[in-house]
Amino acid sequence: MDDYKFLFKVVLVGNAGVGKTCLVRRFTQGLFPPGQGATIGVDFMIKTVEVGNEKVKLQIWDTAGQERFRSITQSYYRSAHALILVYDISCQPTFDCLPDWLREIEEYASSKVLRVLVGNKIDREDREIPMHVGEEFAERHNMYFLETSAKESDNVERLFMQIAEDLMKQARMTNIPRYDPNSQNINDSTSNDSSCCSRLN
Amino acid sequence: MLTQMIIRKLFNLRNANKRNNLKLSQRCFSSHLPELTKNRYSVKRGNYAVLTEDHKQFFIDLLGSTRVITNPDECLSYNVDWIKNVRGYSTCILKPKTTEEVSNILAFCNDNRIAVCPQGGNTGLVGGSVPVFDEVVLSTSLMNKIYSINDTSGVLVCQSGCILENIDNALEEHGLMAPLDLGAKGSCHIGGNVSTNAGGLRLLRYGNLHGSVLGLEVVKADGEVIDLLSTLKKDNTGFHLKHLFIGSEGTLGIVTKVALQCPPKPRAVNLAFLGLQSFEHILRTLKRAKQELAEILSSCEMIDASTLDVCTDNLKLKSPLSQYPFYMLIETHGSNNEHDQEKLNKFLEDAIAEEYILDGTTTNEINKMKHIWDLRERITEGYTKDGYVFKYDVSLPIEKFYSIVPAMREKLANEDTVRISGYGHLGDGNIHFQVSAREFSQQLLKKIEPYVYEYTSDLRGSISAEHGIGFRKPKYIHYSKSSGSIKIMKQLKTMFDPYGILNPYKVLP
Repeated sequence: MDDYKFLFKVVLVGNAGVGKTCLVRRFTQGLFPPGQGATIGVDFMIKTVEVGNEKVKLQIWDTAGQERFRSITQSYYRSAHALILVYDISCQPTFDCLPDWLREIEEYASSKVLRVLVGNKIDREDREIPMHVGEEFAERHNMYFLETSAKESDNVERLFMQIAEDLMKQARMTNIPRYDPNSQNINDSTSNDSSCCSRLN
Repeated sequence: MLTQMIIRKLFNLRNANKRNNLKLSQRCFSSHLPELTKNRYSVKRGNYAVLTEDHKQFFIDLLGSTRVITNPDECLSYNVDWIKNVRGYSTCILKPKTTEEVSNILAFCNDNRIAVCPQGGNTGLVGGSVPVFDEVVLSTSLMNKIYSINDTSGVLVCQSGCILENIDNALEEHGLMAPLDLGAKGSCHIGGNVSTNAGGLRLLRYGNLHGSVLGLEVVKADGEVIDLLSTLKKDNTGFHLKHLFIGSEGTLGIVTKVALQCPPKPRAVNLAFLGLQSFEHILRTLKRAKQELAEILSSCEMIDASTLDVCTDNLKLKSPLSQYPFYMLIETHGSNNEHDQEKLNKFLEDAIAEEYILDGTTTNEINKMKHIWDLRERITEGYTKDGYVFKYDVSLPIEKFYSIVPAMREKLANEDTVRISGYGHLGDGNIHFQVSAREFSQQLLKKIEPYVYEYTSDLRGSISAEHGIGFRKPKYIHYSKSSGSIKIMKQLKTMFDPYGILNPYKVLP
């Protein structure tokens, strides 16, 4: 096995069509696949990144946005280290649904999970949600905030790298050992990180 | 509510499969025909009667003219196997509806030394279900009655010509399902399944037909009907004769009725499709799947990159993953979706953490599951588009499961082949291994056989894990069976069929 020190599970959620799969593809494969069909069920992949001189593995779970394809839900939230909640800055309804997503997160995810709000598609001209609105929402709910463009590759690398760094910092503080497949929930042993409401940039 | 939804979805999936399989059988005879078997393999015709008009008249008197096919065009599809490997030239196809008719046909053929080739859905892959010369074909296609389904005991009793998928659909109304499932389900007959001991995609979970067949009715070569049609789960009275007819490929008798033990239909079905780097990782994933998914694991299949290409390139199916050297399909059947998904996600998470799995997707959405299963179930069909396919079906010790593919690639490095690849029932240690070429060539055949059988035998594997011996493999049976056991088989054959009229040139050397 590779000599990585940390392995974190990152789960992406949010309405259908906001660009979750494109964010993941951009980050893991450097691609922007046009005409991407709706995700059905859950897709997962691994990407190794380096933080400092340490190897960190991110296990990324890309979930279906459409309710009828979201049959597998609760159990993948449970052991997540970070949740990325995505909306489309050019589509008001995807922003309006955020409280519903938060309710689901509250219900199923660990309370210690790192939560990041992402406004995607900043390449688009027809913005409907001003940046400060997203920012305020994130602050109110103790989330990181970042705007991205999977198409133009804006902030995508930064999003995942920042998550990796932050989770590593958390893990170091609480001296978390390497991923242990026998422990059901790693998050339960992390301390609450008070830096949760700052912006990533 | 959820349960109902899943059941409804499963039903739709099944119908979709049916459509596919129909398409598949229609395509069968669209392109060129294989050479006559007797010429390609230089076989000598047995000392059987050549069919006369009097013989045909007897059959017409017995069955009526519509159930005796003599028109050469109509006979053709009964003479060629669907992967177009072999071709006979029978001029008489019989379609009995009852056991009594089968009995009369066989008694007549036995008295007149007329060779008979029993045929179900003709989906066999080793040339067992088509005539080699001019044998009369006894088709079970009109023996398609389901007699009873008991939803408490789970026992179904039916005629041997019932199509597997029709049985499954009938069982579904009773909350049950057939104990076997295979790609050919839309065409294959249960009698053929029994006669070949067909395995399929979920043998790992539901066992083989020696376990799930509770009883049979068979007709011996001389027309005598043997009633072994027990519907009891437990019955230790005397020799267990039914087993002789399971997997003996119609050489000892013709199966006319079947009693099957059927499991409850699962309320929760989940499927994962995974990309992996090496066969070593596949083994680790298999081990972990067995441990963590345990009683809900219903299927564990592997496909190598080159095999997946026959689906993506030849059939234009889309893979949900990017390219990896190996792929796995893991399915769960259970009664509680929440419980199953919890287990499946934990298993996947751990396997990703250990890096056995590099990429994957999991779902219980019916269309996506079907889409993924197509990548496995339509491989045989996709292969036929390469040209001629040399197909092998061997069991190997699990550690050596895939070793035959690189061994064969090395051996055939200088030959003109399209593809050398493997896929199959990982959980059962049964690999389907094939070499495709633009066309059949004796030279290539000689390079592959008997090497492939020697290789398998050296590892103490089976040279035919589930497809049977049929016409293609009798001379190789000794690689997997001792001379003592072959001798007993021959003695049994003589006892059941002294004139050798049942499915000659097949199974025994």
